[in-house]
Amino acid sequence: MIIESLMLQMKLFLQDDMNIVIEHTEILDKDNDKVILKDYTSMIGVGGKLNLMVVISYQNSLLNELVSLFMDGEEVDPQEEEEIKESVAGEVVNTIMGLALPTFPNRGKGVTITPPITINDASNIAKHKNSKIITAIITTQFGELSVSAIGPDDIIK
Amino acid sequence: MLKVLIVDDSLIIRKKVSKLLENLGHEVIADAQNGQEAIDAYNAKQPDMVTMDITMPDMDGITAVKHIMKDNPEAKIIMVTSHGQEDMVIKSIQAGAVGYMLKPITEDKLAHAIGEIFIEYAIDEKDDELDLLDDSF
Repeated sequence: MIIESLMLQMKLFLQDDMNIVIEHTEILDKDNDKVILKDYTSMIGVGGKLNLMVVISYQNSLLNELVSLFMDGEEVDPQEEEEIKESVAGEVVNTIMGLALPTFPNRGKGVTITPPITINDASNIAKHKNSKIITAIITTQFGELSVSAIGPDDIIK
Repeated sequence: MLKVLIVDDSLIIRKKVSKLLENLGHEVIADAQNGQEAIDAYNAKQPDMVTMDITMPDMDGITAVKHIMKDNPEAKIIMVTSHGQEDMVIKSIQAGAVGYMLKPITEDKLAHAIGEIFIEYAIDEKDDELDLLDDSF
């Protein structure tokens, strides 16, 4: 299942690569009409033999910690802070996609990945009919993030 | 000391690679955020080595490698990529890239990659996550 693979890779990334403690994980057990977005959100599209969108949405506190870890403790220039946060959010979704792709149908062969985009100040993403949204929530010591897979019903189930 | 061009659309990756290269004693002479900027920067600066992202807006890294190699067949380009992009890595190598590094990038991976290409910077350590042309394809 795609969402389980995405959640697993996200957990491994946070725990093993970032040394962030995970307190709780949960896959929301119903088909949602929309993704409720947190402070910062990165999206990546998958095309070709598999069509879906992966959305990772972060609480600000967790993204700030990821920025600090990516910067190896180096101080962030206030003028670059916003761009760096967006860059880190995009890099994480890119990494998670890359790690999860070999576990997708057909081991992810024949698919293309778009460059990630990051947004803030948005409240939600609504689905179109015939599409499905499944969301996992990961709670860490620094805050929460959600991972959502959006796509055709037969792929996302 | 090598003069290096960093190509990546991600600011944080450009910063990270730049810092690691400087730690290793090399000089970052330019950076670029997409394939076209990479071609322009390569032609203007003639770096000793390029680190090249694959997935970028406007022009991807594979297309940029093809263009750079066409006019500069001696160019030394290392692709920087995520897991799960093996097909893209193969296309990059076919286009002329000399190797690749899997993210997350570390100083050890970078040092090893440079040592595989430039014998004067060769090191002994074996990094399982780095595979160069002769080993893998």
